[in-house]
Parts: sequence; C-alpha cells; structure tokens
Amino acid sequence: METKNIRVFFSKTGRAIYISHLDLYRLFQRSIKRSKLPVWETEGFNPHVYITFALPLALGTAGICESLDLKLTEEICREELISRFNDALPRDIRVTDAAEPVMKPTEIALSEYEARFECDNAAFAEFLSSEHIMTEKKTKRGIAELDLKEHLSILGQSDGYLRFTFPSGTEFNINAGLLFDAFEKQTGTEIYTLRITRTAIKCRNGENFH
Amino acid sequence: MTYKDKLDRILLKVQKPSRYIGGELNSVEKDPAKVTMRFAFCFPDTYDIGMSHLGMKILYSLINEVPGYWCERVYMPLPDMEEQMRKNDILLYGLESLQPIKDADFIGFTLQYELSFSNILAMLDLAGLPVYAKDRPDLTPIVCAGGPCVCNAEPIADFVDLCILGEGEEVNLELMRLLEQCKAEGTDKHEFLVRAAKIEGIYVPSLYEIEYNDDCTIKSITPSEGAPCKVRKRIIKDFDRVFYPETFVVPFSEIVHDRAVVEVLRGCIRGCRFCQAGYLYRPFREKTVETIEKETISLCESTGYDEVSLTSLSTSDHSEIERMLGTLANYSDAARVNLSLPSLRIDSFSKELVDRIKSVRKSGLTFAPEAGTQRLRDVINKNITEENVMNSCRIAFEGGYNAVKLYFMLGLPTETMEDIDGIADLCQKIIDLFYSIENRPKGGIKISVSLSTFIPKPFTPFQFEPQPTEDVIRERQKHLMEVVNKKRVTVSRSHFDVTHLEAALARGDRRLSAVIYAAWKKGCKLDGWTEYYKYDKWMEAFKECGIDPAFYVNRPRSYDEIMPWDHMDVLLTKEFLIRENMQAHEARPTPNCRKACAGCGVNKCVGRPCFDYS
Ligand code: SF4
Repeated sequence: METKNIRVFFSKTGRAIYISHLDLYRLFQRSIKRSKLPVWETEGFNPHVYITFALPLALGTAGICESLDLKLTEEICREELISRFNDALPRDIRVTDAAEPVMKPTEIALSEYEARFECDNAAFAEFLSSEHIMTEKKTKRGIAELDLKEHLSILGQSDGYLRFTFPSGTEFNINAGLLFDAFEKQTGTEIYTLRITRTAIKCRNGENFH
Repeated sequence: MTYKDKLDRILLKVQKPSRYIGGELNSVEKDPAKVTMRFAFCFPDTYDIGMSHLGMKILYSLINEVPGYWCERVYMPLPDMEEQMRKNDILLYGLESLQPIKDADFIGFTLQYELSFSNILAMLDLAGLPVYAKDRPDLTPIVCAGGPCVCNAEPIADFVDLCILGEGEEVNLELMRLLEQCKAEGTDKHEFLVRAAKIEGIYVPSLYEIEYNDDCTIKSITPSEGAPCKVRKRIIKDFDRVFYPETFVVPFSEIVHDRAVVEVLRGCIRGCRFCQAGYLYRPFREKTVETIEKETISLCESTGYDEVSLTSLSTSDHSEIERMLGTLANYSDAARVNLSLPSLRIDSFSKELVDRIKSVRKSGLTFAPEAGTQRLRDVINKNITEENVMNSCRIAFEGGYNAVKLYFMLGLPTETMEDIDGIADLCQKIIDLFYSIENRPKGGIKISVSLSTFIPKPFTPFQFEPQPTEDVIRERQKHLMEVVNKKRVTVSRSHFDVTHLEAALARGDRRLSAVIYAAWKKGCKLDGWTEYYKYDKWMEAFKECGIDPAFYVNRPRSYDEIMPWDHMDVLLTKEFLIRENMQAHEARPTPNCRKACAGCGVNKCVGRPCFDYS
C-alpha cells in the first residue's frame, strides 16, 4: 500500500502534563481511531495504529513542540488533518501543525525549557552559579554521578524564571526537573509551583527539529 | 492560589497522578456561573475501580445533559495522595471543576459493595465535612447514597441524609429539581428531607425510628412526618428507551475495565437463591438488538476504544442472543474492535459464532457451578448440570483449550462434606474427559478452582440463613484440599476475614453505624484492598461498641423476625422469599422466569406479566 509519512506537532499542557508517555501512546491510538483518519495500521492478529514519538516528554513537564510520526494511507490536507485530530483529542492536547518529516529523531541534540517557580531567589541564583551541580541519574548500568552544570546552558534568568537547555535525544537525555530536584536536595529548601515547559527541540545543526 | 495550582505542587509526588486531575476525553466542563445544581458523584473506591463502573457513567451523562446541572466525578485517593492533600490543605475535590465538593449541592455515593462503607466516612472527612448527618445542619450539601447496597442502608443510616432505592435514571433528576426549589424557597434541610421522602424511591433514615426487643432483634420500625411505611424502589419501565450515554469519559491511565460497555438487559430470569443482584434488579427487561447495536457503535466511535463488552447478569438469556451476536460481530469485524462477552454459556451456541468472538478464545473457559453436587445445586437453584459442564468442556477441549476455571461457594445452606467431595469429583470427571479426547491439545489439563464463602444477603431466599462459623468453613476448605487432585487442580480461597465483615455489614442494622465510625477512627478504610484491610481493627471496633458480629452473621433468623430492611420494598413479597427458602430446604429448584412465573410479586407492581406465557 502506498503510504505517506507525516509528522504531527502537538502541545501537551495544563491537565495533560500528568499523562505518562505510555498512556500518551494509548491516548493517541484511541484518538486516531476516533478521528477516523486514514492512518496506517500494523497487520496481524491484533492490528494497531502505527505511531512513533520523536522524543518522550517527562511526566509533569509541559511541551509546545512535541511530535509524532505516522503514515497516511490516503492524501489528506493539512488543515483537515489538524482539525480532525483536535476534535478527537482531550482539551489539553492540541495538534498545532503537520508536515512531511525532514529530520530524523536521531539528529535531536537538545531541548530548550522555560521554567517558572517560587523559591528562595538568592539561594537559587547562588546554586546556579556554583561550579558543579552534582546529582545522581539512573542509567541502564545503575546509578551514576552526573554534573548538571556541565550540560546546562542558561539562556535567560530572573527571579522565579529560567530559560535553559539540556541535552536531549536517543543517546543522552537529561530531564529538566532534575535541576530543580538538585536544588531542593542541596539547599534543603522547597520550590513551590514549579512549571516547566519544553519550548523547543533542537538538532545537532542548531535547527529546530521539524 | 487555585486548587489547580495547589495540585500542581503535589501531583508529581504521587503514583499515577493523571487519575487525580480530570480533563480526560469526554469529561464534562461547564461554566460555574451558569450552574445551578452541582452533583458530586462519589464512588467510594479508587479511580481505577470507580471509573470502570457502568452505573456511574450512566448517571454522569444523564445529569450533565441537563443545562445548569453539573455532575462531577469523585474517587477515593490512595494513601500517598491523601497524605499530600492533608499536608497541603487540599479538600476532596471534583475532577471536573477541581473545586471542593463540600460546596456542591449533592454529594452522592454509589454503594456497590459493603466493604466500601468506611470509605464514605473517609471521603466525607477528606471533604472537610462532619461524617454524621446530624452534624451537618445546612441545607447543602445533601449527602445521599444509591446502588444495590442501599436495599439495606441501615449500617450507614447515621451518615447519609437520604438514600435512593432502585434505578436512579429518573429519580435523581426529580430529587435535584426538588432541592433547587427548596433552595429558592429558602427551606431548611429538615423540610427538604420531609418533602424528599414523599418521592417514590427516596428513603430518609432519620425519619424512621427503630425499637429493639430484649434479644436485640428489631421490635418495630416507625416512620414519622409522613414518610412512607415502605419505601418502594424505582424501576425503569421502558428499558429499551432508557437513557444510555452516547459516550464515556476515557481515562488517561489504564483502569480495571478499560473498554466500551453496553448493557444488554437488566434483571435475571435465573433466580439463584444466593444471588442478591438476581432479585434486586427484577423484573427482567432487555434492549432490542437494534438499540444494542446503535449504542455499541456510538460508544466505540466516540471513545476510540478498540474493545467493547456486553454486560448484564446473564447475557446468554437475551431472547435474541444469536441475532444480537451476529449483528455485533459484523460491526466489530468491520470496525476492527474486539467484542468480548463475559460469562457466556458456550454450550448453547453454534461453534462458528463462538469462534468469531475473539475474547472467548482469550479469556478461557469459566463455569460457576457454585456447588459440588446436583442436590446442593438444586438447593441454591443454580441450574447448571454436570452434563452442561461436560458438554461445554468437550467443545472447548476439542477447540484447543486446556484450562478450565471453576467457581464454587463454601458454606451454603444444607452443605455437607459430601458436597465438598462433589467438587473434587467434578474436577476429576473433567480431567478424565480431557484425557478421553483423542485430538486433545498438547500439555496436560489445568483446572483452577476458586472457592468463595457464602454470604447471606438481604432480599434473597437465604436472608434467613446463618453463615457457618470460621471453624466450619476452614474445616471444609481443608477437606477439599485433602480430596482434590492436586496435580491438575489449583485451589484459591477467599479470605475468611473479609467475608466475615461483609456478612456482618450486609445484614446489619443501624447499630452498626457506631461500629463503622469506630473502625474508621482506628484507621480502617479501603477495606476492599488486601493491603489496607485491617480485620483486627474492625473486630476491636465491634468489641468497643459492645456488639458481637455473630449476632448478624451466624444466627439463623426466623421467618417472622423483623429484618432491618423490612421497610424497603424492592417489589418482592416476603412470602415469596419464605416460599423459596422452604423449597431450598427441600432441594427443590424453581423454574426460570421465562418458563414459569414463580410469583415473586414484581409483575403486580409493573402491572403486567414479565413474559408472554401463552
Ligand atoms: S413476577 Fe414472576 S416472572 Fe416476574 S420476576 Fe417475579 S417470578 Fe419472575
């Protein structure tokens, strides 16, 4: 069957940030079924809609440039695809765009985040300027020491606000939340109402993933 | 700070946070400024369980169809969430508005099993409300309860303001209109309750006085202020046209029954004498194949579920089951959804049909003979014969199955060790049958036997019967283990601790409110969960209140004893229950309702015979 690859861009905000990656996968499968869009399904005893996500988003983090790939079995215009998706999705997940994929998910290098939070501002500024920000990260081989500072680049900063990037991708990935966990742990103080949004996904060549 | 902000602070600290935030597909959001009645619909168990419950889905959609009425879902948080809520001053809230339910007009609990009673207290407390009805003087929120357990709501009588007896599809809205009117008139709570008690199906416990005899049995039940002597349950007469939701809320996370569900019939013709549902949901009413098909398609399309299941007490008894399954299988093949049919009696269907329905293949073969000998099956009126079981097993084995699951009950009235031997014998016959089949599947046969304990329930012919004591039950369990073929049969047993409490609560009276309160104070909640159930605390609570559970559990009750639920009229006569009880003791079965009417009384109230017997 002739199929066409499509990359669907969506946002995941509000109440939807608590949907785990696995549940998001099931959610999109059902939504596609609901939308009756001509999306290619796998063959076999238990056929299912074939979709792949470019990059998982950590539980609790919002995203405005998330994407998934699927195959269409019929030509369908961009506007219709978007509106049929949105009719079938819960309120806090919105499809924003759809296009033929250009880059491969393996080219993804980093994510840009925006965080708004309430905490002891002086302590946070001091924390950010320290030479190392050591934390532990779960890897396949167990727990490893990791210096967050080494991977962090700050794009903008004011009281209760931080714009920054962390490495992302299939090889190496740091969840944005780790930075704030590390702060709480190191200073023994609490962060209130932390809201993190992934605002961009960048490839190795510096371009936005699209 | 809004509740959403507060929740954002804690949700990443709890397991599976998406079940505490709402916003799922098809959940209903309304503009609070335009809402005149807010109904907080509480399922007194966790989200994963409550979200699977069909009755709640029906009433949720029904109420939300009314402009200005807003029904929200509320579930019991697990301990990790409760701890965070308490630490951060978050009161129990509705998943739609994320606003505290104490500000709702109604807080309605659906009571599906007795072990959820303590959760009512836990949830009221988390909502920031006093648990005793008498300590909530304001008109709103009105705390009400519905569901099968309110056929004997006495154990929770002190906590709820009113109960809704029977099917809620019509009466719920009547009740909401009344409250809306009372709010406008500025009447007080008492006046509202007195007026509510005049609606058919509404039971206001505080309007009834109970007097006791010296032996602790009930002497009299006296209504006051115009409340009816007998509260008559509500039923939907035109079941084919009863409201059914076009869509379900689709949860983000996986829940127990994560699929579309269509109710094909209500009631049951079988009359198994231990089965409360079989009596409570009378009369038998079914939907037409066309209605079932329409509802199936609408639900699948609006939810995106790829599995739909048909539900009822006994789907095989639908008068047009073959045509129904054929029609639905055509749809499910075309739409690529799985059709699943729990508890189908496969011996009554053509093989092609069984083969077409995938889940029958998936879930394996289950039977519920409930008792080991024909004599005892006649006592309980379970009309499965050994021949039925053997025929179905043969079909199944020849079709490639090699696992069978059998359900039995221990402690049934008149049961002896011979009946226990009967269980082992039946297993052995199935094993022998398996090995006598030439083209049997490879690998040996596996039988799993699940043993539950008989619990006498109100409004069944066994409401007069005692539950055997712990020693007797244990002895019978032990005996079965000695006689059963252990190589091929695995036996799982229910926990005595749990059935014991369930038995006490099921046939309890108002004095148990104090026990439930004491147990809850000792930390009892989520009693349906093995990991949270605290039997010793419950027993302490009984003791402190000076009440012996054996009074409710192990005592035979005479036919003329006033039962705590005698002022409830579920449309069955007591004479009928007594007649059935006598027949049981003579091991005489009663034909199913389609064959002959046993005269339970329901037809008189409906005003026509249940079936066309001509
Ligand atoms: S009235 Fe007769 S047919 Fe109807 S439910 Fe009762 S026993 Fe069955």
